[in-house]
Order: sequence, then structure tokens, then C-alpha cells
Amino acid sequence: MDYLKEVIKGLWERNPILVLGIGLCPTLAVTTSVSNALWMALATTFVLICSNVLVSVIRNIVPSHIRIPIFITIIASFVIIVELTLKAFQPDVYQALGIFIPLIVVNCIILGRAEEFASRNSIFRSILDGLGMGLGFGGTLFILAFFRETLGANKLFGYTLIPGMKPATIMIIAPGAFFTLGLMLWAMNALKSRKRG
Amino acid sequence: MSNIVKSTLIMALITFVASMALSHINRITLPDIQRQEREKQESALKTVLPGYTITEKKTADTPDGPFTYWIGEKQREETVARGYAFITEKSGYSGPVRSMVGIDEQGTVLGIVILQQTETPGLGARCIERASMETFLDYILGRTTRVAPQPPWFQSQFTGLDATKKITILKRGDWTPGLRDELIEKNAISAITGATITSRTVRDSIATGMEKLTALVTLIKTEEEEGE
Amino acid sequence: MEIKVLFVILISTILINNYVLSQMLGLCPFLGVSKKMDSALGMGLAVIFVMTMASFFTFLIYKYLLIPWQVTYLRTIAFILVIASLVQLVEMTIEKISPTLYQALGIFLPLITTNCAVLGVAVLNIETGFATKDLGMVMTVVQGFGAGIGFTIALLLMAGIRERLELADIPGNLKGMPISFITAGLLAIAFLGFSGMKI
Repeated sequence: MDYLKEVIKGLWERNPILVLGIGLCPTLAVTTSVSNALWMALATTFVLICSNVLVSVIRNIVPSHIRIPIFITIIASFVIIVELTLKAFQPDVYQALGIFIPLIVVNCIILGRAEEFASRNSIFRSILDGLGMGLGFGGTLFILAFFRETLGANKLFGYTLIPGMKPATIMIIAPGAFFTLGLMLWAMNALKSRKRG
Repeated sequence: MSNIVKSTLIMALITFVASMALSHINRITLPDIQRQEREKQESALKTVLPGYTITEKKTADTPDGPFTYWIGEKQREETVARGYAFITEKSGYSGPVRSMVGIDEQGTVLGIVILQQTETPGLGARCIERASMETFLDYILGRTTRVAPQPPWFQSQFTGLDATKKITILKRGDWTPGLRDELIEKNAISAITGATITSRTVRDSIATGMEKLTALVTLIKTEEEEGE
Repeated sequence: MEIKVLFVILISTILINNYVLSQMLGLCPFLGVSKKMDSALGMGLAVIFVMTMASFFTFLIYKYLLIPWQVTYLRTIAFILVIASLVQLVEMTIEKISPTLYQALGIFLPLITTNCAVLGVAVLNIETGFATKDLGMVMTVVQGFGAGIGFTIALLLMAGIRERLELADIPGNLKGMPISFITAGLLAIAFLGFSGMKI
């Protein structure tokens, strides 16, 4: 049960985007469609879990003052694995996600969890932490993308929703992303203060 | 001192292991990646030079980078007609837009295929949008049709235009069959609403490509022009 | 003719395709450091420097190392390590020159390494195809410089607004992140106005 908590915390209490405020970059840019958002979440979670595992494995052998470059090298390697795999087997997804695939390297979530958690905890816990954070990240991305795609392109998974209706394009470009996330954070705060008071 | 040596060695070891793993993955995925690119190019060539057999592929060096073009031939009654295809690229709104363009020996566009773009979804990215009658409701009810979707209207509207003359941009909304006559007469295309930059970019990239191509091959002028 | 191309790149990266407000890169520091004008300016200048230098070095490495040895797939690793080293260098320099600025920037200085915009501009330089063009090096450096300037302008605008927001009467749950994002959204709309520019 204690283990389940490790996973759950990433979903709500320590949701990377809504609570910790990290991993914002890809969040706004890839949520133009639900499909992109889910693929990005999958890719990021894969890198997150793999790097957490490897960092946890070498946590006692790596000298402290060069740990950051080592973590970065590990994370970058897994990102390249994802890059090449997507390019070979899902070229459309690769094209759609564009430069945000290599940018997974600098997703603060991955380096952050490696530094804060994986370097101090067991392999199994690190896997759970990565899974939880990945799910929290993915869930948030999904909700954001859901609103942006339906309102901004009148589509869901690429299929038109209401034929003939012109969507609110602003939702699908930068301002819409900022507004949607701002409103989600507002909702999050409201829920938290209701819990407290 | 030994601290630095130790750190360097560990760093080097990790980087070495990483590079080995990555080169292995690269070796596994490379055939698939190359196959994808080949298939994409072949499919595009078929679309922009319909009915032509590709006879040659050439690459020329230009200040803008390498310029690749293909020569195709088509049997037409007793003569052999030539066609040319080339890849051209220009910076659009948010990144380069790469297209393959096919023209006949007089410079009339036979077709274009946009190979790569990273324009804004809902605006510039509509240049690769195919009209589809399927809605989400159809999808979940399983009412999907087996009919292949139409080619993207933005690209197919270039077919029939004269690439040796300037292609103008009009704002007539999404292309409909009713626009065909007006656009051909004015040698124009209809821009994507809200994406003038992307529309302009594709038009300009065709012009640039034509410039480079005509420097390398000679097109046939029609009789009208010779009389001028 | 060449000058015009560079000018187009500059206007493009600073205004039309502003890295923060249009391409949504570099958000972490954008929201983290934009609380005060001075730290925003300090961060901005550091980022301009890192982006320009990073564009320069990553271009060299890509063109003269990765391509000839056919290991372009190692791009991501090579680039991020170059950036990490550059940031380390900048950190040590700032610590020597201005300890107060070093204190003010705090944790955000090493975080320039994970600034998506820095790696982003390095990757975008390659994607734009500068590696195969004549004078590609110049265009790359100009793009890096422009990206930095655009980032700094966005940062300064945000800082100016947030300083004022501190004194405004904002409903409880909107304070902090929510209102900052909504403000950023409004700034993004303003910058949308540049998208029709014909240069």
C-alpha cells in the first residue's frame, strides 16, 4: 500500500505540472491535439522510468560533483532511443511532435526526479515514482489537449466533432494554451483551498 | 588531482557505454528510417508526375544547398513527353516547408506534394489537410467509410497553373470546384484563411525551385509565346 | 542581399516567432525569474550570451563532427553537453564578476541548461537547414542571438507586469501561477499582431 502511494502522489498531490510547476515547456506546445499529447506523455514516461532506474542503479557509485552531467548523459541517451524508434516505426508521430522529442532531455521533470528521488531511493521505488509522475504528467496533458483540440479545432483524435462549425482557433495557438493552463491552475488552487477550509 | 582524473574516467566510461548502446539502436532502426524516406519520395514522385517513368535523378550544388531534380518521360502518341520534378524548401511561419513539385516540359504544374511542414495546426498546417466527411460520432459508432480521403485541396489547386509565370494569391476561402475556372484564368491559388504566410511560402518556394530548374534544363515555350 | 536575410531572421525570432510567446519554449525560467525587473534583465542577458554561443558551437560540432562521421543521431547528447558546459562557464564568470547578480539569480542560473529554448534554438538551427547553406554559420549565430533577445523582451515585459500585479487586488485562488499564465496569454495575443508582417 505504501508502494501505491508512491504512484498516486504523482497524480494529484505532487502533480508535476499543476503542483510542482515543472515540465511546462512541452505541455503547452504538444497539447494541440489529444493524440500528440498522449504520445508525448508516453515518450516522456518511458524516458523518465528508464532514467530513474539507471540513476538509482548507479546512485552509490557516482561521485557527487559530476552527477548532473552523468544524469544528463543518461537521460539524453534514452531520449535518442525514443527519437530513433519513433522515427523508424511511427514517422507521422515523429513529424507531429517535431523538436519536442529531443526537448524531452530538458524536461525539468526527468532531471528533477533523478536528482531528488532516484538518486536516493531504491530501484523499485524509483520505478513507481517515475510511473506516478508520468501518469500525472500525461493526465494533465490529456485534459489540456482535450479542451484545446475540441474548442480550437473542432476535432478529437483528428475526427471532426460538429460538422460545419468553425472552431475558436485561438485555443489552438499559443494564447489559448496559456489561458487553458491558467484556468486549470486556478481550478486546482480553488480545489485545494476548499479542502483546507 | 586524482579526483579530476577519477571523475574524467567515470564520465568517459559512461559516455562510451552510452555511445555504444546508441550506435546499436541506430543500426537497428536505420533500415526502417531509410525505407520510410524512400517510400515517401517515390509516392510523392508518382503524385507529382502521374503516368511518367522516372529516367534520371540529378543533384546540383547551389548557394542554398543541394538542389535535387528528377527527369521523367511519358509516351504520348508518337512523341515522348518530358516532365520534371524537384524538391524545394522555404522558411514558412514556424519552420521550413518542403514540397515536391512536378511540371511538364512547358512549365505547367502537374502536381505538388508538401513533404514536410511544422506550421500552426488549424492554420498553416491546413495545407496538408484532407477533406474528410467522417465525424467523431461516425468513428465511435463504427460508421467509418472505406473511401480514401481526397488529396489536400491546398496542394491540388496548384495543378494546371503555369509555373513559369507568377502565381498570384487570392483570398477566396477554401477551394471549391466552382473556383477552378477563375483560379486557372488568373494563374492564382486561394490562400488558407488566416494562413497567408504559409500559402505565400509554398508559392514562393515553387518560384525559387523553378528558377533553379530553368538554370539547369530548358523548357519548351508554347507557340503563342514564340510569336510575341 | 545577405543583410536582408539576416534582418528577416532577427525580426522573425524576436517578434513574429517569439520563442516564449509564440513557440512556447523557455517557460520554466520565464515564470520563475520574471518577478523582478533586475533579475529578469540579468537572466535575459545570460540567456542571450548562452544562446548565441550555443548556436555557434553546436553548429560547428554538427557540421564538422557529426555529419562527416555520420553520427548525426548523437545530436541530442552532443548539444546538451555543450550547453551544460557553456552554462557552467557562464556561472563561474558571473560569480567572479558580480556576486550580487549571482545571488539574485540563484538556482535559475544552472537551470539555463534545462531551458528548452536554448536546446530548442540549437535544434531549430539544424532543422532550418543552415548546415547546408552558404554562410549558414552567420545565419545560425544571428538566429541564436535573436532568440535570446526575444526571450529577454518577453521576460522583461512579464517582469514589469508582475511587479505591478504584486500591488493589485487579485482574488485569492488566482494569485501566483494562474494570473501569471493568463497574463502571458494576453501578451501572446499582443504578439500575434506581428504574424501578418511582410518583410
